[in-house]
Amino acid sequence: MSLDSQDPRAAGSDEPTVELEFELNGSVEKQAVPTSTTVLDLLRNGFGKRGVRSSCERSVCGACTVLVDDLPVAACSTFAFDIDGTRVETVEGLAAHDGTLSAQQRAFRECGGFQCGFCTSGMLMLTTGLLRANPQPDREEIREWISSNTCRCTGYEMILESVERAAELAREREPDEESS
Amino acid sequence: MRAQKLGAGLIAQNQSALPPFILYRPTSLAEAAALTQEHPEAVIAAGCSDLVAQFREGCEPGVLISLQHVDELRAISQERGVLRIGSLVTHHGGSTSPEILSSLPALAAAWGSIATVRIRYRGTLGGNLLARRFRYELPIIFSALDGHMHFQAGEDLATLPVSSLWDSDAGISGILTSVSVETGTLLWYGYERSMRPVSTVSLAVRKHAVAGLAITAVCGSEYRRPFVLSHAAEASTIAELDADFVGTALAAQLPDEAGDYAGTIAYRRHLVSVLTRRLLARATGNQKK
Repeated sequence: MSLDSQDPRAAGSDEPTVELEFELNGSVEKQAVPTSTTVLDLLRNGFGKRGVRSSCERSVCGACTVLVDDLPVAACSTFAFDIDGTRVETVEGLAAHDGTLSAQQRAFRECGGFQCGFCTSGMLMLTTGLLRANPQPDREEIREWISSNTCRCTGYEMILESVERAAELAREREPDEESS
Repeated sequence: MRAQKLGAGLIAQNQSALPPFILYRPTSLAEAAALTQEHPEAVIAAGCSDLVAQFREGCEPGVLISLQHVDELRAISQERGVLRIGSLVTHHGGSTSPEILSSLPALAAAWGSIATVRIRYRGTLGGNLLARRFRYELPIIFSALDGHMHFQAGEDLATLPVSSLWDSDAGISGILTSVSVETGTLLWYGYERSMRPVSTVSLAVRKHAVAGLAITAVCGSEYRRPFVLSHAAEASTIAELDADFVGTALAAQLPDEAGDYAGTIAYRRHLVSVLTRRLLARATGNQKK
């Protein structure tokens, strides 16, 4: 597969495109998209992942946060060509196939960390990335990560508690996974 | 959506208005350099965090060369008293690099204090410098460290001081391959951003080439270009420096144009003086508890 985009004149189309192959929530996807497509647009319009919120489109608010190879990125400010060959995760991939919520989702529900819910998918993906990087983060580290997402509803205390609870739930789940 | 942009002269907020471009993704520096010769008008991209914002502000490149697959631009080395950092090193990579932590930990600490977690994994040294945004902090940090940018344009190599970023005739062209910092004469470095966005101060103390100490302070703000301030002291050690005198002398060099609606020039000079004294107190170990 060439790394360069297709010459639109040769292809007879209006605009240059790029072939992508990446993993989305565990499924291998292939798609040709215009070169200027952002990850936000690709995931929402191409794959129906509406949990990737479209908001500031300036990588400021965090509502569009997805994980790319375990790292949080702003989908609104990342070109789709940069996820070629990577593993992308959205909030839609957190729950199990049978609908069982992940530790992060259960924690946010239990601690009331969602409020209006608009920022929640980004918060959940940040929490997922944080707990993979450090399964036992302290309050300072949680604050550092979560502060990059904007919640307009109220204070962040319940969100901070949700992340701490998610870490607890994830740790509680580990022995079961090891024995299964 | 594009018709709206072209017809009405407006930049639509939605990404659907982003103009398409021919994309190249070279896998080596030589290939990338050849592409820039072939397409001198091309926009060179790294992490793209800032570039997407530039698109939304009206940038419309016909050709874009992404350096993401040029792994040699991620190298960090420390040889013969020179720290060299590849232009594709991210904020996260720079602040956690074993080479930087061992040779210049204060740089790692300063680098680790900027941006949010999402940007820290995507934003790069090269992108932060060459975006030439007043509010970005790596130009401030590396200017005080007397950092130099190394460019490759085809077969040609060029070196420019980071502090020249704000010169209109700096002659920046080609691919930024790395930034180097001479560490042999560097005695101390620190960064103060507690008064951001009004004023930040990046301060380095070096052994002067002849005698005494050379103190360089770079004052940044969200709204004005960074200003390089310097002072030569006769002291032979940092402990001998008069922090009050040096802070006042450096602040006095801040030009009147550094004032703005967020802080008059008098207030900015006061802030620079306070932040400089604070940094020097930290450097000399005389920091009040």
